Amino acid sequence: MREPGSKHSRPSVAGIVDRDTLRGIRHTRGDEDEREQAPLSFRLILRLFGFTRPYRRKMAGLVLTVVARAMQLPLLAWGAGAIITGPIARGDLDALRWWVGGFLLFALFTEFTFRYRVKWALEIGEAVIHDLRAALFRRWLTLNMDYFNTRPVGRLISRLTGDAENVRVGVQNVLFVSLVQGGQMLGCAVLMAIEDFRLFLVVLGIAPVVWLLNRIFRRRLGQAYRNQSESFSRITATMAESVSGIRVTQSFSREQVNAGLFRALVEDHARYNYVAARTSGIFLPLLELNGQWFTALLVVLGGNRVLASGDPMALGSMIQFFFLAGLFFSPIVVLGTMFNEALTAMAGAERVFSVLDTEPSWKDPEKPVDPGRCQGRVEFREVGFAYQPGRPVLRGLSFVTEPGQCVAVAGATGSGKTTMANLIARFYLPTEGEVLIDGVDTRLLSSAWLQRHLGIVPQHNHLFSGSILENILVVRPTASRDDVRHALHRLDCLDAIEAIPGGLDAEAGERGSRLSLGQRQLVCFARALVADPEILILDEATSAIDPITEMRTQKAMRLLLRGRTSFVIAHRLSTLRHASRILVMDAGRLVESGAPIDLLEQGGAFAALWARAGLEQPAR
Amino acid sequence: MSRLSPAQPVPAPVVEEPGRQRYLLGQLLRLTGRYWPQCLRLILIQACLIALSLASLGGVGLAIDLLRAQIDPSAPAVRVPFGAWTPPDSKPETVLLLLGGVIFVAALLRAVLTYANTVAANRLGQGRIVVDLRSRVYAQMQRLSFRFFDANATGSLINRVTGDTQAVRLFIDGVAMQSLQVLLAAAVYCACLIRVHAGLTFACLVFLPVLWILVTLFARWLRRDYVEGRRRVDRLVLVFEELARGIGVVKNFGLEGWAEKRFLEANAAVRDQKTRVFRKLTILHPTVSLLNQLSMAILLGYGGWLAIRGEIAIGTGLVVFAGILQQLAAQVTAVGNIADHLQQTLTGADRVYQILDAKPDVDDRPEAKALTTARGHIVFENVSFRFRPENTVLHSINLAVSAGERIAIVGPTGAGKSALLQLIPRFYDPDAGRVLLDGAGLRDWKLEDVRRQVGLVFQESFLFSASIAANIAFGDPAAGRDAIERAAKLASAHEFIETLPQGYDTLLQENGSNLSGGQRQRLALARAVLLDPAILILDDPTAAVDAETEQEILDSMDGAMQDRTTFLVTHRLSAVRRARRIVVLNGGRIEAMGTHAELAAAAGYYRDAMLAEQQGSLAA
Repeated sequence: MREPGSKHSRPSVAGIVDRDTLRGIRHTRGDEDEREQAPLSFRLILRLFGFTRPYRRKMAGLVLTVVARAMQLPLLAWGAGAIITGPIARGDLDALRWWVGGFLLFALFTEFTFRYRVKWALEIGEAVIHDLRAALFRRWLTLNMDYFNTRPVGRLISRLTGDAENVRVGVQNVLFVSLVQGGQMLGCAVLMAIEDFRLFLVVLGIAPVVWLLNRIFRRRLGQAYRNQSESFSRITATMAESVSGIRVTQSFSREQVNAGLFRALVEDHARYNYVAARTSGIFLPLLELNGQWFTALLVVLGGNRVLASGDPMALGSMIQFFFLAGLFFSPIVVLGTMFNEALTAMAGAERVFSVLDTEPSWKDPEKPVDPGRCQGRVEFREVGFAYQPGRPVLRGLSFVTEPGQCVAVAGATGSGKTTMANLIARFYLPTEGEVLIDGVDTRLLSSAWLQRHLGIVPQHNHLFSGSILENILVVRPTASRDDVRHALHRLDCLDAIEAIPGGLDAEAGERGSRLSLGQRQLVCFARALVADPEILILDEATSAIDPITEMRTQKAMRLLLRGRTSFVIAHRLSTLRHASRILVMDAGRLVESGAPIDLLEQGGAFAALWARAGLEQPAR
Repeated sequence: MSRLSPAQPVPAPVVEEPGRQRYLLGQLLRLTGRYWPQCLRLILIQACLIALSLASLGGVGLAIDLLRAQIDPSAPAVRVPFGAWTPPDSKPETVLLLLGGVIFVAALLRAVLTYANTVAANRLGQGRIVVDLRSRVYAQMQRLSFRFFDANATGSLINRVTGDTQAVRLFIDGVAMQSLQVLLAAAVYCACLIRVHAGLTFACLVFLPVLWILVTLFARWLRRDYVEGRRRVDRLVLVFEELARGIGVVKNFGLEGWAEKRFLEANAAVRDQKTRVFRKLTILHPTVSLLNQLSMAILLGYGGWLAIRGEIAIGTGLVVFAGILQQLAAQVTAVGNIADHLQQTLTGADRVYQILDAKPDVDDRPEAKALTTARGHIVFENVSFRFRPENTVLHSINLAVSAGERIAIVGPTGAGKSALLQLIPRFYDPDAGRVLLDGAGLRDWKLEDVRRQVGLVFQESFLFSASIAANIAFGDPAAGRDAIERAAKLASAHEFIETLPQGYDTLLQENGSNLSGGQRQRLALARAVLLDPAILILDDPTAAVDAETEQEILDSMDGAMQDRTTFLVTHRLSAVRRARRIVVLNGGRIEAMGTHAELAAAAGYYRDAMLAEQQGSLAA
């Protein structure tokens, strides 16, 4: 059998995600901080407790039932033993009847307590997690775009699901189960100590052994499980690629090669799985063994104590020990599991709270300037910007656009076009210089004012699930269906939307997936028109649709832009031609600026782009 | 610990149809039969374990009775089970030591056997059954035709290999083996109890069937709530993901309030459903626990009465009885699990066997001939094709393409362009008519050979998480660095690869996200020409890139198209001019065919589209 580690030397094979590749993926996604456990922290626990404050009464009830339950379980076991060693051994039928009746009543009471102990713990845990998720979401809404642009959505989702889930387990299980189990141990200890102190010392001697075993194996198991889950992520990652790349695989007839490689991966996983099973296979019987050994000791030592001539132990005590010792040992294993879960919950809580503690990189000014009506004059003054310090994306950018101008921004990928647009919308603040709207530094404006007067149509047109109508109305809930129809009519695309089965009420689907690219774009245009901002930023879609549909969206776009100050990040030459002004960007600088025809006559970068596409000179 | 186990079974819709159920059960039983020697070994280990736990329980009982006889002369004489051993007249201390020794050894043996059991179960389940199933499902899935992949979401396909195969394994160890084990344990335990006292056995076990029915009924009652709970959690994640991806839209239009409401609704729905589950769940557990206590009370009352009357002993009677009752209660819970596992298993097996039983639509005929080097002469003869029965995509296409010719295919979205091309590497077979390669029908050649003759580049080419070299060598993992570099040069990819810090060994991220769109397409082109195919299919390779990158890709194509029959689908008419002949496809029919000049001169789609692209702007 091949050693699990020997795969390292093998060159990478496309279609199979090996260990190094997996690490590479994790690394670039910034998953390094995703540790699975964190040490117990009193501060975190207190803070979590703060979240139970709204459920104070339920908490009080819960604590009561927890205490009651911790005492009830040992008492129940003791009761069974007492009945056997008491009335039964004495042969007292009358007392037996009373004892059993009492036992039944007490059992009923115990289970009643049990129900509310579990119910309240589960409910509080769920309520806390509900509140925690709501708090997370509210916090995210206050953060600026820089936060979202640097974090994959998957990571945010794992805060909301995985981490919150771990915290819930922590709240629901760890604390209360630990209390019950700890109390149970204590109760048993007290009862055993009362029955026979010397024999109890023997039990006490075994307990540390169990605890130690637990510690050692937990650590080994933890490592085994980590290896196991890592090899499992290799399987799922490979599966995901195999499904997404199935066309490639089949077109190169790679089915059999892949199947062989995949089998190796699955076998590898089975090996890690086996190691984990073997470790737990030693651990659990060893734990059980302790209880069994105590039984053996009990028979020998206890038996001898019963037979001892000096100060004999009652036979009843021995039977009691038989019942109570089991209850004493079993919590140790449970407590070990709980401790482990607590560490996991801590790691989750740490990450959740670090989101809750994130402050927006900037906030609205205390007293924002209100310029009143928006004219739509945009000015950049010596603007510089860097996403990461020392790596400027924009340098010394200066220009002025007059109200109503349509400005097309051209330039290669990475030249800073989108960044410039982000600065106008104040998704980011410039690191140098200032951006002014109607002569006011955007830093001094309120978000509300900007949102009212500035609109963006991003490249990846985003729709929400819901009808087309809902998607448009969301920006102005007071608008009516007729307003929407009117807007679509103004864009000259009412017929195109009504041709969709269901018309305005057609479902857009998850992220707009039920509509075609062209249809999505028209809906986004209509949404922007209903919002009716004075300044509009539009990032043209790069994906090609057939020329006739494209002509349609281009026309709608021009109708949308009419009468507004607009910035279009242009990928289409026809858009460039229609702009009143063109800004050509290169490596974060403005290299050309002017009307399209003037630029063509200058014969600079823009003219070169034009020529390469093999287009004719536009008519004057 | 369950958190770390890879397959978290999620309640899924139940397989209702009886015929299908019977078929699946048959398949599952056959699968179990294949592993019968290993299963038998596991059952034997289980039998030994049961015997051992009885032995140590009996030892304790015996010790108690022995002691009682020693200190209380009026107590009944010790009855020794199985009559195998009669207490000699040795000192009771020695007997106790002996009994302690028996319990000790039994415990040791138990530990060893439990370990053996865990290891053997893992070897069989994870090491053999799951490995075999996963490999088989994966291998079969790789061969399935695209129709299958079109109809299933990626997540569900991944789950078939990961989760569903585990569900099938669960049939062997969680249903078949578990049932046998429960039956065995119940039979042995009951036999022992009846040996002690038949009436008491009956009285104590009277609640077992009630318990069993209760557990089963509850599982069914809760099932729907679990499914609903799962659905609501999925919805919460979906709502969140949509809002997070659309955060730009939310911020820009000031939709924070709307987004918050949307999220909080989904969040509260999750909590409410969970609370409903908790309410039911917290009835079940205390009730089960209470029934166990009830059995205990009967044992104490009735058993106590019997003990007082001297019909049973306290140690070998009552104490052993109490111990066995506990074991039996554990088995009852196992029965409840079996019913649940069976449902899970059937659901998983349904989806696994859907794949294992599926016959690929496209497959080799037995008499198919080998094809080493094709010339690349392609003829479509009256070809009709549909993805779904109600929707014909291609209508009687006739088209002959000579070896080495360059053909461009244009037409509006949905005209059938991609469908036509996918027939050449036989991703689908036509519903009527046939496609010929070098004079013989495609189906007369071996499928693998046909695909080796076709190089493909898609709209957005899928790249695997592996090194650049491995990606280019996808069609021939054994290809040397020379061949890889040659292919890269042919696709003008060599230059940019060389500029990367690690050159050909650069690791690509998921789907090559660390490369630009143009770079990805050039790698795809290199991958396509590595095997020197006679036919090259370029399915709109410039669709997802901007104008400048488009030029980059088009330039790189020239080298790759040299001496190959090339089919080029595109929306960009500027790219069309690289072809000798242009086919206009509209509504699944060939509308026109000819050179650029011919088509531009005649009325029709081509001229409209050309005008739209060149002067579409004039319409405004």
